[in-house]
Amino acid sequence: MAVPISQMWTVSTYVLKKKLAGNKQYPLVLMLEPLFRCNLACAGCGKVQYPPHILKKQLTPAECFAAIDECGAPMVSIPGGEPLLHPQIVEIVNGLIARKKYIYLCTNALELKRRLPEFTPSKYLTFSVHLDGQRDHHDFSVCREGGYDIAVEGIKEAVKRGFRVTTNATFFDGTDPNSVRAFFDEVMGMGVEGIVLSPGYSYDKAPDQNRFLGRARVRRLFRAILSNRKPTWKFNMSPLFLEFLMGDRSYECIPWGMPAYSIFGWQRPCYLLQEGYADSYKELLETTKWAEYGAASGNPKCANCMVSCGYEAPAVIDGFGSLKGFFGMVRGTFSKYRDQHALNLLNEPAPHGPATLVQIAETAHSLEETNA
Amino acid sequence: MTAEVLKYTLEQVEALELAPGAEHEQLEGWVPTLANEDDLRIALGKALDYRGDVTLTLKSGERIEAFIFNCQTGPALADSYVQYFTPSAPEKRKVSYAEIARMEFSGKDRAAGKHWEDWVKAYNEKKAAGEKNIALVPEALE
Repeated sequence: MAVPISQMWTVSTYVLKKKLAGNKQYPLVLMLEPLFRCNLACAGCGKVQYPPHILKKQLTPAECFAAIDECGAPMVSIPGGEPLLHPQIVEIVNGLIARKKYIYLCTNALELKRRLPEFTPSKYLTFSVHLDGQRDHHDFSVCREGGYDIAVEGIKEAVKRGFRVTTNATFFDGTDPNSVRAFFDEVMGMGVEGIVLSPGYSYDKAPDQNRFLGRARVRRLFRAILSNRKPTWKFNMSPLFLEFLMGDRSYECIPWGMPAYSIFGWQRPCYLLQEGYADSYKELLETTKWAEYGAASGNPKCANCMVSCGYEAPAVIDGFGSLKGFFGMVRGTFSKYRDQHALNLLNEPAPHGPATLVQIAETAHSLEETNA
Repeated sequence: MTAEVLKYTLEQVEALELAPGAEHEQLEGWVPTLANEDDLRIALGKALDYRGDVTLTLKSGERIEAFIFNCQTGPALADSYVQYFTPSAPEKRKVSYAEIARMEFSGKDRAAGKHWEDWVKAYNEKKAAGEKNIALVPEALE
């Protein structure tokens, strides 16, 4: 089990209290983006393309605390930009720990080893290190040779110092599932607590982007990756969300479950789309036209999305909000998901050319559809 | 999402093999014609998507260099406003649609020309030339 019992207890009691109170819309994870500045320049990234005066701006610790105090989520994910470039990131993290929030500080780890002495290990703090795959794949993905080695050095140092560490990876079309499974072996061997993963999303305000995994292909890829699991693999995610990615479960997007807050305000409707901002979480809840988003809405911008910011919250609520969901979660935690069909998928030819390393591939061969 | 936007059925969404991705509009340098209310609303919608600054000229003659990040629309121009940051001030500002006389997509489009394929091509060329430590680096915050 990758998530500590105390964290599961905090989240489960939070969900149950909301359920008992009849609260239909509430946040599980605050996506707190304290800045958009980054020390990588990943091609196609949809998060950091802003004019310099925007990239120089950052949230103050007080603004960060006001956001979490208002929305009340039990967990905070700190993406960006690169949070370790924020000069007050230690103060922000310590303030969140003082509020007993479980924090996932998402970092590319280029600065991690250098900054680690400023942080204190805590059950509330996890460094979630961006690693997109094995060395060549990751370096190619983040457009920086040597990036993998620096990140791994940071991971090992953080583990050595007693910090909670996970890795987080995003997979795009052309991903070789065998390489991903080998990558899982590598990162678990580094002593990380667990793995976080996600299918890519086509940010529509990002640079030109051509090909992204559609839902059918996401399910096929994740079924190949996540079936027939090795006992050493741990995932720092809801088992029900992983089953959703594999095509075994259906959930509706609930973007209010993981709201995003940045220098612009509360992002409407979610971390991925930017259709305006609200000045408060309350305003976000009350004025966003939620029915216009999510796969079920038919909105083309949501068509390929199976990303955790929309679909992990319903999985968590399902897992902690009903006996059926809870037993499904327990079963999922310990199941190896034996599946001959998925084994066959692993024997399919790997994507060709540079695509074996990267995001966008010309997948000429047609693979058999997985069940939905 | 507006009513005229193409909708997928859930069956189509679930069967989707590849998502088309986004087509990036080349807006840098564009000065939209603002002949009527619709022109202004469309141009401001594009400004919201634009990853660069826009110069707004108000009916008062004031010129504002703005990164527009929010459009709040109402039935009339006077009920609608944009929120923006300027390079010179730390706080968010807003201006009514009704006050805007001219727009120019004057700032560099920070999302343009950063295709994944460009990186792949550049990488392969540099690799073939024997270069080491190949990387893209963030633009300077001039």
